[in-house]
Parts: sequence; structure tokens; C-alpha cells
Amino acid sequence: MKKMSRSPHLLIESRFFAASIVIVIAALILWLRLWQLQIYRGDYYRRISENNRVRKIDVPAPRGILYDAWGKIILGNTATSELIVVPQYMKNQEKTFDVLARLLHQPGDLFKRKYKRAKSLPKFMPITMMRNLSLHEVSIIESNRLFLPGVEVRTTARREYNTGTSPHTLGHLGELSPSAMEEFNAKNKNNPYSIGDLVGRSGLEARLEQYLRGQHGYTLIQVDAFGRASNPTEHEWDLPLEAAKPGSNVQLTIDLELQETVSKAFSGKNGAVVVMDPNTGGILALTSLPSWDPYMYQRGLSPEEFRAMTLDPLHPFMDKTTSGEFAPGSTYKALVALAALQDGIITPNRSYICNGSFSLGSQAFGCWKKGGHGTVSLHRALMQSCDVYFYHVGIELGVDRIAKYARDFGLGSKLGLEINMERPGLVPTQEWKKSTHKELWAAGETPSVAIGQGYNLMTPLQLAALYSAIATRGKVWKPYIVKRISTPAGITLDERTPTLVRTIDSVSLENFELVRSGLEAVVMDDEGTGKNARVPGVRVAGKTGSVQVVNLKKNKNQSDVSILWKEHALFASFAPVENPEVVVVIISEHDDKGGGGASAAPVAGQILRSYFDLKKRRAGLAIGAAVTPIPTSQEGAEHD
Amino acid sequence: MIDSRDQMVGVGAMAHAPVLLVPGQAIREPTLIWSKILMTVLFLLISIGMTNLYSAAAGTSLFWSQLKNLALACVGFYVCGWIISPRFYNSYAYWIYGAVCAQLVLVDIIGGISMGAQRWLKVGPIVFQPSELAKIAVSIIVAKYFYTSRLSQPYTLRDLLPLSLIIGVAFLLIFAQPDLGTAGVCALIMTCQLCFIRINGRSLAIAATGGLTVVLGAWFFILRDYQKLRVLNLINPDMDSSNTGYNALQSFIAIGSGKFLGKGFMAGTQTQLQFLPARHTDFIFAVFSEEHGFLGTSVVFILFVTLIYMGLAIAKNGKDVFASLLAVGMTGIIFVSFAINTAMVLGLFPVVGVPLPFFSYGGTAMIVFCAAMGILVSIERESLDLFRKVSPFQRKSANSRSSKQRS
Repeated sequence: MKKMSRSPHLLIESRFFAASIVIVIAALILWLRLWQLQIYRGDYYRRISENNRVRKIDVPAPRGILYDAWGKIILGNTATSELIVVPQYMKNQEKTFDVLARLLHQPGDLFKRKYKRAKSLPKFMPITMMRNLSLHEVSIIESNRLFLPGVEVRTTARREYNTGTSPHTLGHLGELSPSAMEEFNAKNKNNPYSIGDLVGRSGLEARLEQYLRGQHGYTLIQVDAFGRASNPTEHEWDLPLEAAKPGSNVQLTIDLELQETVSKAFSGKNGAVVVMDPNTGGILALTSLPSWDPYMYQRGLSPEEFRAMTLDPLHPFMDKTTSGEFAPGSTYKALVALAALQDGIITPNRSYICNGSFSLGSQAFGCWKKGGHGTVSLHRALMQSCDVYFYHVGIELGVDRIAKYARDFGLGSKLGLEINMERPGLVPTQEWKKSTHKELWAAGETPSVAIGQGYNLMTPLQLAALYSAIATRGKVWKPYIVKRISTPAGITLDERTPTLVRTIDSVSLENFELVRSGLEAVVMDDEGTGKNARVPGVRVAGKTGSVQVVNLKKNKNQSDVSILWKEHALFASFAPVENPEVVVVIISEHDDKGGGGASAAPVAGQILRSYFDLKKRRAGLAIGAAVTPIPTSQEGAEHD
Repeated sequence: MIDSRDQMVGVGAMAHAPVLLVPGQAIREPTLIWSKILMTVLFLLISIGMTNLYSAAAGTSLFWSQLKNLALACVGFYVCGWIISPRFYNSYAYWIYGAVCAQLVLVDIIGGISMGAQRWLKVGPIVFQPSELAKIAVSIIVAKYFYTSRLSQPYTLRDLLPLSLIIGVAFLLIFAQPDLGTAGVCALIMTCQLCFIRINGRSLAIAATGGLTVVLGAWFFILRDYQKLRVLNLINPDMDSSNTGYNALQSFIAIGSGKFLGKGFMAGTQTQLQFLPARHTDFIFAVFSEEHGFLGTSVVFILFVTLIYMGLAIAKNGKDVFASLLAVGMTGIIFVSFAINTAMVLGLFPVVGVPLPFFSYGGTAMIVFCAAMGILVSIERESLDLFRKVSPFQRKSANSRSSKQRS
């Protein structure tokens, strides 16, 4: 017993030493691990911990605003709520999306599809799931927020359209797809897009995308482990903030008030209207019908609706002002007359006899007036749009010489308005026929070309440019719609001045005058085909046109045939004749009200009347006095 | 006086160099030198731990309730250190063990359920975890076993069989809760004690093989899915950051982001923003690492190692086999808990529910750790014959009895 108490140790003495070693080694291993985590990889983990607590919230920039020439807002922004999810904070994605779809009455896979598209994004990046939430939808989400971790509603801007303006011109926005985004971002390294961003897909929104989009800002907020924003004053976190830079504002040449009149006057018809300033090429109004609801894309378009619209034979998605190609019909006669006068084929006094038809070899070409016009000279041929006169002229002139003058006026090539895939139109020549159709030009095809039918194709914009050149006696201006681009602070980034493309010197001023007086007679003369376009107190010149879409039997009643087979009604005009300041071109497709004179001219008349009313009103406002209506001048009666 | 100065030199040397050079110098003088250092270190650790818990609790009442636990723990420390002699545990070893086992049975039957396990026993206002008490009970019973069956030759498996049967009861009861962490800690504490016993080489080899078989068997037949997952997490914590590996990953981030100086008291973003799970219990070391950096953790490491060395020194100078083995057991409680908890937080060990002594929130654990320290003090006091009574219940002087025995 004693021995035991002195040396109680059945315990092995040396084990104490070993135990000390073991303890030191164990502590050392743990300590080295600490060193590895805290010192060696400390920066890495510090960064992760920052990412952990800090969430970057994208602040979308409001897009730039489009103003009209007078400073009225054509396309602005208004506040809207959108549904976003932050994947990092979602607990059960499948379930969350199912609940969301049920709450918002959306198809079950809508959210999952959108979510999948944004898979590559960092987990803290919000994904837009639904835009333009109604107040009801917002309250539904907010009240169920507890069960929807990672789901948020944020306020953002959406486009607000002026419905009087053609949506084709303004264009629409669409979400950027991941594949398109790479392409976009390759060009925009400094200001990249993120998935779900809206970009201009058509019209001015697309063309001016780089100006309108602005620059995303962001705020950094601190969140706790459950994604709840924590109070930053609680601890001293200073987080940077980058405000969104709104897009640049754009002033257009469009006159909104006139545009609204145009839309009203043209409503119910299909086709296009172009109103242009012949002295600058500035576009005052553009309309293309049938059209679409500009809010359609904000609401979301079902595949069925979209298919129905693309299959619509009247092509609602097409901007007919620039990409619709039509045969110019009788409006082309002005050009043919200029060519024939200049080349000495005709003189103002040379006349042809119209007995209602014209035969060339075995072919017979009819005049629109079956009884014939009798003896017609240039003035009456234009005024009454005699086809037989122009068959004769066309044959003598030949297709190539018509084409030469057409090209001088800028036809057959793009004018450079640069919105919505402008089309070049077509000016047929013998060469063209040979190369395209591998056939020789047939003499019988020339009379059709001379009255603007056959292979001829022009866009409404080209027709406006043609009549601008006639109105200004040979000045071809490049059409433009964007006047000025300026930053929100008002600093001008780009100012477009009118560009004179060329002055047509191949046609003499006398010949221009001869044709212009013929065109004036179309409207001002009581026998003229376009007298429906008259405006009290203003000398208006114009030319009607009716284009057969299919060859109908002569006496077949137009009202019997399908709308798609009906004639196009055209009217091209400018006013006032003495010093033209506005060109109005109407192309009414498949018009069932009649030809150019009956159907298109009254629309042009309304537009012109509105233009001059506006002008008077603005002049009155400018001098700040009560405006008494300017007495109607009697000049217009001269041509009787 | 001269002697005590020598001791002071020894202490000074120990602060720098491993203590293992010092314990050999048996201190016969009635100066509680090891206990004094131990108490200093303990005071520092508890201060740091409580401060850290205040930050981890972040304004909740946890800190205040732990403060109450601490008061109880201090009482426990004093009672174990100055009132109850180690001889008391020696005499009543089987009673103590039996009582703890009975509590464990009660826990398995009527215990409160938390995190999928039954661990709590509620008696009136007192809620406690008998499995924590089992750590001390197991140490006592092991010490008692080797105290009663002393052999001159190495122990063989047959010699150890009764012990394994006795221990097995508590072990299975804890395992059934299920509390893998505590069961493992108990086993490891026992292993620490066995390390100081001479065991037959062949028996050791057989035991090792058997142990391996048991581990593999447990993996395939006994371990529950969540327990297996914890083990698997160790291999790849990035596996699934939102579920099982999340804890480990957030723990790494918290520790790593502390860097050298830490983010400052109450300023750990991982902690304060609640990214860190179990931040006031199992993962509290990550809180400390985040807020106080490598510097702070190094200090804590030194304090823990010092504490463990003090325990070993006391064990070496134990009065008898029982005292020494009990001291090893008490030191083992601290060492095993510290090593497993930090290894777990540092991603070197599966996530098991082992608290960090003096840091983790938990009343029973705090009391048990402090009591263990008290027992260490009492063992040193016994070795210096400072106990007059075995326990306050005994009339007879413990010293007089032991001196009788000695003579």
C-alpha cells in the first residue's frame, strides 16, 4: 500500500511525455489549419463573406424619351411594378414557381421557363419574371411574401405610348435572349446588358437603342442569411451606390398634332401615309395600317395571337411606309411626263386622241375612262389621268429612259431613313428584265410601266420623296425623322440637319412648272380627278392613282371580289403650290370606297387642312394675338 | 521560500516551453501551483468565452441565461475543488455511475426532443443533459476499475472485459438518444485514460481489429442518415451549399474572413447576419475566429494547451491510480472536446455535436467542464493532503484516514 501511494503509478510515466507530444501535434495541426484558412486564404474568404452579405441590386435606367418637333412627348415612361426572383434566396424553386403561377393565374411552366433562361446568372442577380403587374397582383404577392422566399416586386419604368403615333415608327421592346445578349455585349463592353433587359426590337426603339437605353445603376444592400435587408446603421457598413443613368432624349421631326389627325383621317383604311417637309426631307407624320396595340408586348403576347397576326394577309407587323412596296399607278405619270418633256418626246401642246383604249400589236390597253378622253394634251392628261396619253408617251420614250429619270429622282434605291428595314423599290429596265427574268423586254410591257403599273415598285416614302422633288423643282432631300439627340441634362449629342442628296438638273425648271401646273389642276380644276383634296385658301397639287392588284374582267363589279383583290387607292400631293411646304402621300390598300380620287384624295385633303390650320394657330400663338382667319384667296380658281 | 521560488522559475519556464519538462518535478509542498495556473487560465478562457458568446448571441437572452449557468458552474467548481475529495468518487464510483445511467435511461424514455434526438431531462425548472454528466461518470468508473484491479503484468482483453461491459451500458444509452458526438467523446476520454495503462500487445491488436469492424458495422447498419451525411460533408463541404455542407462552408467563410486581426468584436458579418449556423453552440469557435482573427485564435489555442498541460501535471502527481486516472479523464474531457470541436469547425472532422469548453452555450456542459476543472484542483489538493474530509457528509477527517493507511 505504501509503495503504491509513493509511486501510485501503474500509469506509465513515459506516456505523460508522449501525451504532451500528442497534444502539441494535435494543437499544431489545428493551428496550421487556422493559418491556412485565415492567413493563406484569408483574402479569398473575406471576399466570399462580402458577397455573402452584400447584394447588388440592379437599378434599370429609364429609357430616353421621344419628343415631337414641338416638344410634346410621343413616347415616355411611366411607373410599373414587375415581379423578380432572386435565386439565391429561393428555398424550393419548383414549389415557389408553382405557387406563383397559381396566384397570378399564369401557365404553370412560364416562370420555370424564364428561370431556366437565366440559369447562368449569379445567384444573387434578380430575374424579371413578369412585368406590368396590376395593383391586385402586387398585393397578392406582397401578402404571400412569407411563403415566397426570393420573390420580390420592384418598381420600374415602362414605356408609355402616344396612341396617335404609328407603333411601327416608334417600335417595340423585347427581352434580350441569352444568345442575342452575347452579341450585344460584344459591341457594348462598357455598358453590358443583362439577361431580361428590354431592348428595342423595331422602329426607332431599335435604331436609337444605343442612345435610348441609358446605363444600369446599382445599389448594394446588406442582407442577412435569410435575404432580409438589414439596417445599415446598425453596423457601420458603407456600401457604394451607382445611380442609373437615364437614356438620352430624342426629338423627332414628327408633328404630333398632325400625326394624330393623320391617324384619325386614315383610320379604317389599310396602307400607309407619309407626310413630309419637301424643303428638308423631315418626316412630319407616318402611319401604317393595319397596326398593332403598342401595349401588346407589355401585356405579353400568346403564341396563338402572334401567329394570327403574322398570318394576317394585311401584314399588321409590316411598316408599310418604308418596307411596303407598291406599284405607284397613276402617280407615276408625273415622272413619265417630266421625262417625256425633257427628252422632247412631247411638248405641252402635243396631243393624242384617247378613245378609251390603245392597241399595240395584238395587245389592247384600256383607259380607266372607257368612253375615252378625246383629244388630250399634257395638262389634261395629268388632270384627268388619261392612260392612253401615257401609253403613247411611254412607247415613244421607252422603258430605259423612264428608268433613267426615275433613278435621278432617287427611285429604285433606299433613301436612308433607316427604320424598319427600308426597301429599295424597283425601277424596271430592259437590262434588269434580262438579268432577273432571263427574258428580253417585251414592247407590250412598256405601256404598263408608263402608267406606273407592271414591274414598278415604290415605297410610300419614295413616292413622298418623288413628289417632294417635283414640289421643290428638283431638290432631292434625304428623308429624316430624328432631329436631335440630347442627354437628359440637355447636352446635344447629335443634331441631324437636312441633307440635300442632289439637285436634279437633268430636268429644266420650265418642264417642272408644266408638270406642276398639271398636278395643280388635278386638285384645283373642277374636272380634276383629285378635287376631293382641296383645302380652302390653299393651292394644292396632287396626283391620284388606282392600282389594279389583279386583272379583273372589265365590267366585273369591284364590290364582288375579295378585299385582297381590290384596287389600291393612291394620292400624292403637295401644297401650297407656289411655295410647297408639305407633301402628303396616301396609299390605301385594297380600298373598297373607290380609286385614288374618291378614296385617298379626301384623306389627303383632311391632312392638308389640318396642317394649315395648325400652322395658322401656331403663327397666331407666336405673335400672341387673337387670330382672325386669313381670308380665303381666290387663286385656286385660276385653273377653271 | 526557496522552494517556492524554484517553483516560480518552473512556472516561468513552462509558459514558454512545453510543460512536459516540468511535471516530473514532484511538488510536495502544499502549494497548489498547477491549480493556480489552471485557475488563471480558466478565468481567462471563461472571460473570453463569455464575451464571445455575448457577440454570438447578438442581443438575445442567451448570454444572460449562460451567465446564470456560469454562476452555477462556479459553485460546481468550488464544490468539486474544495469540498468533495477525490476519495469520495472512489468510494461511490458505482453509485455515481449507476445514477447517471439511470438518468440516461430516463432521457431515452421521457427526454425532450431537440434536433431529432432525445437529450434533455427536465426536473422542475432545471433542464439538463445527462449525457454530459456521463463524461465524468465514465472517467470515474474507469479510474475506479483500474484502482481496484491492479495487475503487475499488462492488461489483456479478458481483464478489460468487465470494464467494457460496464462502460458499454452508458455508451449504448447515449448512442440510442442518438448523440453520436457525446458517445464518441466518452469513448475518446476512456481511450485517453487507457493510454496510460499498460495493455497487452496482442490484445491491443485484436481490439484495434474489432474496433475497425465495429466502425464499419456502425457505418453500414447503425448510423442514421444524417449522421452519415455529416461524415460525408467532411469530404466535400461544397457538395451542396444549401443543405448539409452549408454549415461547414459558412464556417470556413467566417473563419477565413477573419484574417489576422479579425473583423472586431460584434462586427463579424457572418455571425451578426446569421450566415453562420449554430453560432452560439457548436460553431462558436468560428464566431471567435471571425471577429478576432488568427491572433485571437492563437491566444485561445495557447490557453487551451496550457490548461491541458496543467491537467497532465496534476495527473502525474496524483495521489494514487484512481486520482491520476481521474485527472487524465478530466483533462481528456477538455482536450477531446476542444480538439474535436475545433477540428469540426475547421473542417477537419465531421460535424458532430461537441461543444467547445467554456465557449459554447449550454448549461450542463458549462457546469460539467467547470466541475471537471474543480476535480483537477481537488486531485492536486488531495495529493498535497489538503483535504480534511472526504466529503462534507463525512465526520471523519480524510487526511487522518489516509495517513493511517499510509503508515
